[in-house]
Parts: sequence; C-alpha cells; structure tokens
Amino acid sequence: MSTTGQPREAVIEIRNLTKIYRDFWGRKKVRAVNALSLDVYKGEVFGLLGPNGSGKTTTLKMLLGLLFPTEGEIKILGQSASDVRKNERIGYLPEESYLYRFLTGEETLDFYGRLFNMTNAERKQRTEELLKLVKVDHARKRQLKEYSKGMTRRIGLAQALINHPDLVLLDEPTSGLDPLGSRDMKDLILDLKAQGKTIVMCSHLLADVQDVCDRIAILYGGELKVLGRVDELLKSQNQTQVLSDQLSPAAQAEVEAVLKKHGAKYQVDHPTANLEELFLRTVQESKDRPGRRLIADDPAVKA
Amino acid sequence: MNNLTSQQRKFVYLGAILLLLIPIIWLGMPADGTPNSGGMISRLRQELDLGESDLGDLDPSGAAMNLALLGLRGVAANILWMQADEQKNHKDWGELRVTTDSIIRLQPHYVKVWEYNGWNLAYNVSAEWDAVPDRYFWVKEGGKFLQRGVERNRRSPDLKWHVGRIYGPKIGLSDEARFFRRFFYQDPDPQYDKGPDPEFNNSSEDNYLVAKRWFQEANDAESKARQTIMDRSIFRSYPARSQLDYAAALYKFGFKEEYDREVGDRKLTDEEAKALEIRVREKLKEQTRQAWVLGLDDWTKRYGQELFSVEYLPGIIVQMRLEMAEDELRSLGKTPEGIAQLRRAVDQYQKMNNYRYWRTRALCESEPETAEAHWALFAASEEYRKQSPAARTFAEQSMALFEKTLEKYPELKDEDNFVEEALTAVLVWNLYLRLEGEKPPEMFPLKSLWDEKQAIVPEIERRFERDSRTNY
Amino acid sequence: MNFDPVPFPLLQSFLLWLLVVGSATCIVLVVSLIATIATVGARGPVVFANELGAMVGDLVSLSPRRIFALAQLTFREAVRRKALMVFVVFAILFMFAGWFLSSSNLAPEFQVKVYVSFVLRAISWLILPVVLLLACWGIPEDIRLRSMHTVVTKPARRLELVIGRMLGYSFVGLTVLAVMGVVGWGWINRQLPESAKSQLICRQPIRGELTFLDREGNPTKEGINVGDIWMFHSFIEGATKARAIWTFEGVGPHVLDNEGNLLLENRFQAFRSHKGDMRRSIYFQYTFVNPETNARVPYQLKTVDEGRGRTDRINRTLLNIGESSKTDGKKYDIIDDMVSKDGRLTVEVACVDPGQYLGMARPDLFVRTADLPFYYGYFKAVACIGLMVLLVIFMGVSVSTFVKGPVATFLTFCVVIVSYGARDFMGRIVGDPIALQKAAQYSGLQEMKKLEGGGVLESIYRILWHMNPTTELPAGPSTTIMQFIDTGLVNFLWLVYRILPNFDYFSESLLYVANGFDVRFDSCVLACIMVTLAYFGPCVLLGYFALRVRELEAK
Ligand SMILES: Nc1ncnc2c1ncn2[C@@H]1O[C@H](COP(=O)(O)OP(=O)(O)OP(=O)(O)O)[C@@H](O)[C@H]1O
Ligand SMILES: [Mg+2]
Repeated sequence: MSTTGQPREAVIEIRNLTKIYRDFWGRKKVRAVNALSLDVYKGEVFGLLGPNGSGKTTTLKMLLGLLFPTEGEIKILGQSASDVRKNERIGYLPEESYLYRFLTGEETLDFYGRLFNMTNAERKQRTEELLKLVKVDHARKRQLKEYSKGMTRRIGLAQALINHPDLVLLDEPTSGLDPLGSRDMKDLILDLKAQGKTIVMCSHLLADVQDVCDRIAILYGGELKVLGRVDELLKSQNQTQVLSDQLSPAAQAEVEAVLKKHGAKYQVDHPTANLEELFLRTVQESKDRPGRRLIADDPAVKA
Repeated sequence: MNNLTSQQRKFVYLGAILLLLIPIIWLGMPADGTPNSGGMISRLRQELDLGESDLGDLDPSGAAMNLALLGLRGVAANILWMQADEQKNHKDWGELRVTTDSIIRLQPHYVKVWEYNGWNLAYNVSAEWDAVPDRYFWVKEGGKFLQRGVERNRRSPDLKWHVGRIYGPKIGLSDEARFFRRFFYQDPDPQYDKGPDPEFNNSSEDNYLVAKRWFQEANDAESKARQTIMDRSIFRSYPARSQLDYAAALYKFGFKEEYDREVGDRKLTDEEAKALEIRVREKLKEQTRQAWVLGLDDWTKRYGQELFSVEYLPGIIVQMRLEMAEDELRSLGKTPEGIAQLRRAVDQYQKMNNYRYWRTRALCESEPETAEAHWALFAASEEYRKQSPAARTFAEQSMALFEKTLEKYPELKDEDNFVEEALTAVLVWNLYLRLEGEKPPEMFPLKSLWDEKQAIVPEIERRFERDSRTNY
Repeated sequence: MNFDPVPFPLLQSFLLWLLVVGSATCIVLVVSLIATIATVGARGPVVFANELGAMVGDLVSLSPRRIFALAQLTFREAVRRKALMVFVVFAILFMFAGWFLSSSNLAPEFQVKVYVSFVLRAISWLILPVVLLLACWGIPEDIRLRSMHTVVTKPARRLELVIGRMLGYSFVGLTVLAVMGVVGWGWINRQLPESAKSQLICRQPIRGELTFLDREGNPTKEGINVGDIWMFHSFIEGATKARAIWTFEGVGPHVLDNEGNLLLENRFQAFRSHKGDMRRSIYFQYTFVNPETNARVPYQLKTVDEGRGRTDRINRTLLNIGESSKTDGKKYDIIDDMVSKDGRLTVEVACVDPGQYLGMARPDLFVRTADLPFYYGYFKAVACIGLMVLLVIFMGVSVSTFVKGPVATFLTFCVVIVSYGARDFMGRIVGDPIALQKAAQYSGLQEMKKLEGGGVLESIYRILWHMNPTTELPAGPSTTIMQFIDTGLVNFLWLVYRILPNFDYFSESLLYVANGFDVRFDSCVLACIMVTLAYFGPCVLLGYFALRVRELEAK
C-alpha cells in the first residue's frame, strides 16, 4: 500500500518492543509498551499520538537508551539504543524541561555545546543563533529558575538543536507555548524537515500534528492502533469527497441529482474529516474491542 | 524593603546578624575566673550566687553546644570520655586538659564529673610528672578546675570539700609537701615573679587556712544539702582538722619557710643569720602555740559540740556529740540502757575520728611549756647539725620541758607523736654527747620513758638522720 | 609523638591492592555475566561481550572538554546551591573558639598542640559533612529531577559523567579547604598566646633504629614495662648495663646547625621506684659510638625534661670524659670520628640514677636538622586533609550512582565512621597482622591473638547456652554448619576490612604538625596519596558500571 513505492531509508527501526515497569521487588507493575513495531524514515515528520499514559514517552526514552526494553529491538541511526555515539546526531526535547535550573540560558547552551565537544567559537556562534531562534535572547543572563514555562521550553528546544541533529525527538513540543510560540514551533519543524532532517514528535494537540506530520502512529495502552500517512488515514475508504470551489447552488443541485440517481447516500456540507475524529474513533474502538489489530500502511508492520 | 536590591538585602541581613551577635557576646561570654569578667550571664551568676543547676540550660555555651550536637549530648560526652581515657593512657596531658573542659561543657551539672576530673588532674596527672614544679602545676590545674565546678554548682558541699582537700592535704601532706607549700606562695612559674599564682592563691594565708575556709564553706553548704562523700561526723571535722594540720605544719616546715621569706634575696652575715634564727624561732613559737589553741577550740568547742544523729547499730539511731557532758548524756540517753548505749556510741565515734588523739595533742601543744619544748628540740637539732655546743643546752632544756608536760599529762605516754618527739630530744642529746666523746650521766630527764621505749629508738634515730639529711 | 612513623610499604600495598581490586573485579564480572544470561538467555554472552566492549570503548574515548564541562556544572551547582554557607559555620566556630581554648595556661608546646589540632580537626570535621552531602546527593538528584536525561542523551559518556562529578566536587572541596586552611593558619598565628609562638615550627628529624640492652648487657628488643597501660614506651633501669641504643643513618656535616652543633632532641620519660632526690630530675647520659671503629665517647650527664622534651646542643668537638669519669683528655670530632663512612652514628642512652627508670620509644630521640617554617608542615597537613576529602568524594559519588541520596549519604558516612573507628577491631577479628600488632602494643602483650570465641552464630549459641569460650562445642552437623557459615562471614568481613580505606594516615598528618614536626613524605603524605589514588580507579569504575547497567529513571 506504500504510496511512493520506492524503499525508503529507515532512521528508526522498532521491532516487537515491549516495556514492563517493575517495582523495587521486581514485580510487574505496568506494561507501558506492548509489542510495538514501526519504522521512521529519513526526512519525514513522524507523530506519535495516544491518550495520556499510552506509552509515547516510554517509547522515546527507550529510543534514547534512557530505559532498557524488556523485549524487542531498536535500531536508531543504524546503531543500538544503548550506544552513545548515536547521540552525536540526535536532538531531544524532553516532555518537561529537565534542565539545570541554576544555570543561565547562555550557560545552558554553552554547557550542552561542550558535551558535543564543540570548540569555543562554534559554541559561541551556535548559542547566539539559537537564542535568537527561540527568542529568549533578552533573558540570556538569567537563571532558568526565573524563566517562565514557555521560556524554559524554548531553551529546551534550543539545546535539542545545538548539534544540528539529523534526528530530532520532540516530546510534546508545543506544550506550554503561547499560540505564537506553537506557530513558531510548527514553522520550525517544517523548516527542519525542509533541511532534510527527520523529526519524531509526540503531541496531544492534534491540529498541530495534522499540520506538520507526514505520518502518525496512534498508541493505546501501549499498543499500536493506527499507523500511516496522515492524508491517507483521513481518507475514508468507502467515502468519496468531492471538493469544489465556488460551486453554484444550481450546480450543486445537479450533482445531488446525479448522486440520487445512483442511489448513494450522500451528504452535502463542508469538509470536516480531521485527525481529531480519527483519534477519538481509534480510542473508542480500542476500548470497545481490546486487542484489535491496527490499520496500517506500513510494510514493516505487516511483515 | 521592596525597593532594595537583593544584594542590599543581603547586606541588611548580615548587619542584622552582627547586631544580634553583640547581645549574644555581651550576655554569653564565659568568665575567665577573675571577678567581673565574662559576659552578663556569667556576671549575674557570680552576683546572684547561681549555679548552673539553678539556671537550667541557659548557659549559652552549653545550649549552643547542645544545639550544635543536635541533642546528642550524651553520645558526644561518651566519646569525649573515651578520648580522655585514651589521652590519659597516651600521656597526652595537654589534650586531656582540653578534653576535660569539653566534657564539663557538656555535663556541667554532674558534680561527680567535676569531682572525678579534678581529682584526676590533681592526683593522677600530677603524679605522672617527674619535676616537682610540673607536679605542682597539675595540682593547681585540678584545684582551679574544681573551683570552676564550685562556681557552677554553688550548692554542692562535695565540690567545696574536694577543693579543700587540694588546698589542704594534697599540698600539705604529699611527699612533695615541702615544695608544694613553698610554691603555694612562691610559684615556680617565672611569669608570677616569685609571687603566688593569683588564680590559685590570692591571699597571703597558709594553704591549710585556705583549706579550712573551703571546708567551712563545705560545711555551710552541707547544712542545706546532703554531701555524698563520707560519714557526716567525719565530713564536718575538716575545718577543725585543717586548723590542727596548720599548727602541725607550722612546726614541721614553718621555720625554714619563715626564715627564707625573711632573708629573701639578701646575703646575711653569720651574726645576722643567728639573730634572725632566734627571732624566727621566737615568732613561730608563739604563732604555733596560738594555732594549737585555736585548733583545740575548733576541735572541742565547735566540732566537738556538733549534734550528730548516727545509726549506732542497725536500726538504732541516736543523737550524740563527740564532746558530751555527763548530764547531757543522761538527758539524751534517758534510760540506763540508753545511756550505756549512747556512751558506747560516743566512744566508737571518738575512735573513728581519732577525736581523743587530736584533743590531747592540741591540749598539750597549747601549753606554753610544750611549745617551748618543741622549739628547744628544733633548735637542738639545728645546732646539732652545725655541731655547735648549743645543741646540748637546747636538748637538755627540751628534755626538761617534755618531762614536765608528761607529768602533767601522763596519758601522753601512749601518744606516738609526743613520745617520738620526747625521745628525739633525748636522742639528740645523746648524739651530741657521743660527738664530744662524753658518756651520758646516770640520771637525766625522761630517763624512764627512754628506757621503756628502747625498742623504737633505732627507728627514731633512722628517721632523725633522714630528716637532717633532707632538710633542705 | 605517640606513634612510630614508618615508611609506607609501597610495593606490598600495591600488590595487596591488585589482589583486592582484581578479585573484586572478577566477582563483579562473573556475577554480571550470570545476570545477563539469566535475563536475556542464550544471547547473554554476546550481549555481555558487546557491553564490555562498549565500556572499554568508553574508557578510551574520554573527552577532557566534556569532563570539564560536567565538572564546571557540578561546581556551579554546589556554589549556587549555597554549599559555601559552610564558611559561615566555620567563621562562627572560629569566632567563638577563642573563648574556650584560651582558658588554660598550659606549657607552650601543649598550647601549640591544642590550637593546631583544634584547627585541623575543625576543618576536617566541617568539610567532611559538606562534601559528603554534596557528593552523595548530586547524581541522585540529577536523576530524580531528570536533568540527567538531557546530559546522557548527548554524546557524554556515563564514565565522563562520573569523573566530571568527582572532579567538580573535588574543586568545591579543595576550594573550601584552601580558604579554611588559610584562615585557620591566620587564626593560629593570631590567637595563639605570644609565649607559645616560638613553638610554631616544623622540626625535621632524622630518626634512627632503636634496640636495647637489658640490665645484664644482653641485647633485647625492648626494655621493661613499669606498669603503663600503653606499651609504646619501654624503660631501662638506672645504674645497670641497660641501654637504649639508637643508630641514625644519613648523618654528616649537613645536619649540624649554624654553630656546628649536633642537635639531639629527646622526649624521655622518667619513672621513679623511690623518691630519690626530688629537687632534680633523673639523670641520663649519652654515649656516642662509631659503629665502624667502635670508638666510644660518653657525654655529660643531662636531666630528663619529662613531658616537654629537651634539645641538647652537642658541640662538634667532644671531650672524652671517660667511661668512669677518668678523662683521657682526648678530643673527638663528632662527625669525623664518630660517624661511620656510610653516615651512621650510634647513640647509647643510659639512665644514671640507681633504682630509677628511663622510658623511651623509637621516636623519642632524634637528630634535629634545620627547622622548617610552620606553614610548611601545616599546609602539608591541609593537603592530606584534602586527599581525605577527595577520597570521601570518590566514595560518595560512586555510591550515589546506585542508591538514592539519603542511603548514599548514610552508607558513605558509615564507611567513614567504621573505617575511622572500627577498622582496627575488624582487623583483630580477621587476624590482620598489622592490626594485631597495634592491639598488642596497646594492651601490653607481646603478641595478640585473633579474637577468640568463634563467629557470630557460635557466639550467639554460646551465650544462649551459657558456654564459655573454652568449652568444646558438641560435634554434629549443626556445629559444622554453624562453623561453616561463621567462616564465610569472617571471610566476608576480611573483604570488607580490606575494602575499607585506612584513615589512619590522614589523621596522622595532623599529629605531625600538632607535635611540631614536618609531615613526613614517605610515611604520611605518600601514604595519603596512595590511599586516595587506590580508591579513585575502583570508585570511578564502580560508578560507571552502576550508571551503565541501571535505567536513569526516577522511581
Ligand atoms: N517510571 C515509571 N515507573 C512506572 N510506571 C511508569 C513510569 N513511567 C511511566 N510509567 C507508566 O507507563 C505508562 C506509559 O507512560 P508514558 O509516560 O510513556 O505515557 P505517555 O504516553 O507519555 O503519556 P502522556 O501523554 O501523559 O505524556 C503509564 O501507564 C505510566 O503510568
Ligand atoms: Mg509523555
């Protein structure tokens, strides 16, 4: 069902990934991710969706080697998740901004720059660029503990981009940002995409996802429920949408007549099919019929 | 304050801290022993005669300490005790001294802690040193330490008694007494410039008289609070005993001390020296006798008149005095049986406290003849050492006087002290005669005593020889 | 000095270290191999080998820039989290300490001892809790707040993280220490009573080897005990053939002072079995002996200055006063005639007074060469405290990688306290010869046996059944099992004993200065450096290992 047909280069390969959280005594507590398999391809914007607690963050953390999978395998940028060398090409924005609150904005970026072994000059230049990019230039000399939530998010984003990463992992990038901020964020993501970078993001703000993502996966209770291109997923199989610009009432009546003639049920209004619907439907279905397999367009998953 | 920058605010805080420190220092600084030193609290404590126990935990250093130790006072004290023990074994005296102070800062209410540590310094640590001045230093340290204990525990009779012990017997009765008594008014530490250490001795009195004052204070405190050291009837004898000890010490050490004090740094001609010797002897003769008179008074009229209730036999408590007139004995004893019992109790307690010995001795020593006899003997010994003929005259004079005393108090024949002195007089006389190659005549004063006690003469001779050698 | 400074046994210690570290590494490797196999099954060995390879890879690809970035971060964290508030406590302590130290009018030497040890102890006891808390809370907090997530998702190796942390805390600790050291030094110089200031020096002794002759003149290893609880000093009897004989090495013209005198300093003790002459102290006599030619020159009588020590300036030209006070009138040069070609000089000490005793230990007589200024030794001692601070930091950071802050603090604190206080006792249980020797010296026995009474279970058994330690246990399987377990426990204790650091050296450094001596390099400073170094590697590896095998998720 692949739309493009040609094999694409997978940046992330996840096979049969399972994560079980255990308590101190080793007893199983939560099955946060269950037998998850998916691929993320180079140059795409991939969205991980799912209700709260569905295992999105857990998946990301396993990709980064912060958590160890209970079962399954991960290849990221061709390396294993526990290999630090992959980090050279990765940028990560955590769910909440886990930064050092006693550092100033400038020091923060300088510090992370040094972790990439960047030279002094490189760091200076990059710090300038990023502070401007995320628009916290004015607060560069203040400690992060004095930052507002949005400002902290912005610095968080800046640190994720400090190494010109090829793969950017964003955990809820727009949370805490003002409308302008989320607009900027979306622009930035598209911008990065244009530069040929791969982006994986988790989000609840479906409108945002719909705006920027090429492909999405919807998780529910740790299981993959839906996976596919956003445009295709929103295309309903036994529905046909007729889109038109400036259709006159007369023309509309004519079209209706034709449809009537073929005995089709129809409804005429403005297009509303969107991700929100899909999301809610998926969640509802998963609740009704647990264990049901997903809708997917991905060869990796089918294999 | 809102318009202050954070930096300014910090300075304000710093200022406030410093401001708060001023009253703390003003209130809390500990006293260094001299009157009116230290902070407000310790001065008030001195003025109002308050010990630590009256103030509770208010001592700022103690409270701060407790706070700093998060209430682990007991644990800290334990560690310090162990440390002190190790330092003692390792002979780390300096550090032991500091540890002792820390212990006391943690446990200022425990009289026993003061007692133990004071004793340790004055007796054990002092004995570890070879040089006598060093030993004296540690005796002083013990004494000063105990006095600090008294300041903080004013109501304890025990501590005062222990201070008395150091001023009295520790200085006056130890092997080093000769030196210690001297150091008491002429400290060996050059910083005192041949004067006493004012922190230890700020009067010109004899060490025994200082001790007597402390024992008296202990007795006064004892009338209000229990002492825990010994039988009460003995405890209360100490002021009087000190007076008696003082008199005895005057005779034993007084001459040399007084003579040297008179001479000072001067160089005397022989004549001057002789004249001075006589003058000092005359002076001491009277002084010693007065001391005995007072001692007799203290012993029999004060101490002897104290009313003790003692548990004579298990369960039988009787009221008694050591010096009891017949009618009082009767009125207190009531029944003939009770009277007999009381009589036995008095007898027993008199024996226990050596009461009769000291009474007789004081009585006899306060006789002018005895005093005369003593000093004649003293002079005889001195002259004998110089091999001067005056030895003979003095000895004979002394023998005659001793005989007269013996006639007056025949019971002295059984008092070792008297017998020894009397026999020494005869001995000196004999020795001098031997020196001259003469034979003693058939008859001489004290002959019957001399003959009767021949068995102990060699021992007395040995002692006399030793004393003449070491009488520096 | 209350201890005998012997050179640090470098080679022997190194071998022991190799043994302990090697066996510990092997145990860890075997256990983790088994654990891997148990969790991932047959692929275990492969996974294990990969992991091991990756670890080695990390080891060789360390980046100084990253390490310094992490160290700087750590330093900033400590500073901005107000760790330096410790200075306030320090300042307050020193402001008020004068009240309590100045009370006593002890001899100058003691004053120096009291002041110097107060300052150095105060510094160590103030700084230790600070670095302990910092080191033990840093990584756990980093994990709890998840700020570590942003670091480990960068190319920073977890090994670098551990080293960076250690380095950062070391900067903090050493900065604080340096300031405190300087302030303490100034404080001593200001507060010490004027009379004692001349005693603020660093003696540089040449110490010799000590042997004895007994009262018949036969060589023995030690003198007699006069009833001291502590057997460190032994005594020789006066007016007998008993001698204490020191042989010094490295003596030459360079050890003489400006006026050409040989300075012999002693701290003999006197013990009197009778009062004797109380006006003077006990007499002793030096006899200089050339170990090669056996030429003997007795020296004038001297008196013991007990509790203080005395320095005898011995003129280079000795007049032979003769063994029995008959002088042959000959003159000897102390260097040319009395010192052997290889620089050895023997000094015999005799007690002169009959019936009196002279006590000594090896450190009690030494050739005193030119003194060094006080700060020299003082700052060496401060440096040793610094090494101890580093050691505590290494241990704290390493422990904090696998347990949470409070537990790490408690654990490290226990290690420090147990090492300080109970290590000797453990040594006696496991039968370590050095610990036994130390205990023997203290208790006054020639030899100290391993503690009796069996292990834990056996002791409990004996207590419950009221059996004394000499009664045979009933034979049977239960006894065998009990003793088997006990042996296991004792062996475990042996390992713990070996793993606990020896803090003695660090506390000794303080004693040197407090007693007015230079801190010796070979027996103290070197030992401190070696102990600290010995723990650095294992601590780093342990920390790295723990961070690597655990999930960095706050739980
Ligand atoms: N450290 C942890 N220990 C135990 N359980 C955890 C832990 N972290 C997450 N979980 C559980 O794992 C499941 C998945 O959590 P995860 O954080 O991955 O969800 P999420 O999809 O990111 O949710 P959200 O949208 O709220 O961020 C949840 O049930 C959660 O309770
Ligand atoms: Mg999440």
